Amino acid sequence: MIASVGSAGLLLFAAGEEAKVHLTSQTRIVAAILAIAFMAMILELIRRNRLQERYSVVWFVAGLGMLAGAAFPGLLTIVADLMGVRDTNVALFSIVLLLLLGLALNFSVIMSRQAAQITRLAQERALEQAREQADGEQNGDRPGRSEGQSSRSS
Amino acid sequence: MRTLVFIPAWNEEASVTEVIGDVREHVPAADLLVVDDGSTDATAARAREAGAVVASLPFNQGLGAALQTGYLYALREGYGCCAHLDADGQHPAAEVSRLLEEVVADRADLVIGSRYRGAGEEVEAEPGEGDDYKPTISRRIGTSVFRFFLTVATRQRFTDTTSGMRAANRRVMALFSENYSPDFAEIESLQLAVRQGLRVEEVPVRMLERAGGSSFLTPLRSAFFIFKGLIVLLVGSFRPRQVEVER
Repeated sequence: MIASVGSAGLLLFAAGEEAKVHLTSQTRIVAAILAIAFMAMILELIRRNRLQERYSVVWFVAGLGMLAGAAFPGLLTIVADLMGVRDTNVALFSIVLLLLLGLALNFSVIMSRQAAQITRLAQERALEQAREQADGEQNGDRPGRSEGQSSRSS
Repeated sequence: MRTLVFIPAWNEEASVTEVIGDVREHVPAADLLVVDDGSTDATAARAREAGAVVASLPFNQGLGAALQTGYLYALREGYGCCAHLDADGQHPAAEVSRLLEEVVADRADLVIGSRYRGAGEEVEAEPGEGDDYKPTISRRIGTSVFRFFLTVATRQRFTDTTSGMRAANRRVMALFSENYSPDFAEIESLQLAVRQGLRVEEVPVRMLERAGGSSFLTPLRSAFFIFKGLIVLLVGSFRPRQVEVER
């Protein structure tokens, strides 16, 4: 039983090696629809101000890539050949994986930048507050000084 | 020379008043700033009551950001030199004034108070001032690892790499207010200062046991701490030298 399943799997594997493109027209249509829906979603997010344009570019490129892959399956074969990968599925998965990895890294970079900006913002606010307190105490030291006078002098 | 002593404090309402009083007594000429690092207790209020100027960060940003705030304040308000010490009462203010002397005399740009270097040589123990500092085992391991790597990275001998008691002049303020890692303030700042050609010096100081609370270092945390520190040192060694700090 197990042996027969194993041999069937082996046969399938061998068959896969010969036929380079596995995409049936059905999967291609599904992929194209998904890609279009994905890009529509991105447009909608931008329209509602939930996504900034500058961060949408990368997702559009991804959507277009998906669409291109669905429309021209031959592209994938070319890419797989360039990568030296015999199985186009493996090529597809590794490309997607690498892209996602790059995106995640890109987010970490953006996050770090924003964290630094937030820190500086917090510091500026704290400093302003401290300066106000220090100025106030300085003015308070001098007797007979009213609010109006201190604001005129500064 | 106008002097600023600043104290980074995060939820230290129990000890901050005492530390401020200590600084007032031993460094009477200095202005006092408490950098409240997003405390959720009454640290800021206590500090104001005690007569310190308080810079409150709206949320907790970590020690590095808090220290940088202090350096920024000192730089912008035109102080000639500044010093900082921990708010938990480990650092006697009398020692801070000794660090400041080194900076005022222009023998160094940045002076680190070291609890390990030459203990007992230059420091006269004042009786009745509390126990001497006794480090825990995990801290001792971490300290020696950092000591080794920082010595390799800077080619200068440092004994107390994580000391939070320091004094600095305007060159250091200018450097630290722009470049200060929020993640690894102590180690990276030393490396940075040495690489920028600043004179960094260690002065032996006496430190006390923590007055309250416990150290945040557990073994696992220590390991993470050390690992992060090594990354910081490694990256720091390859970072381009910035434009020479103006002399």
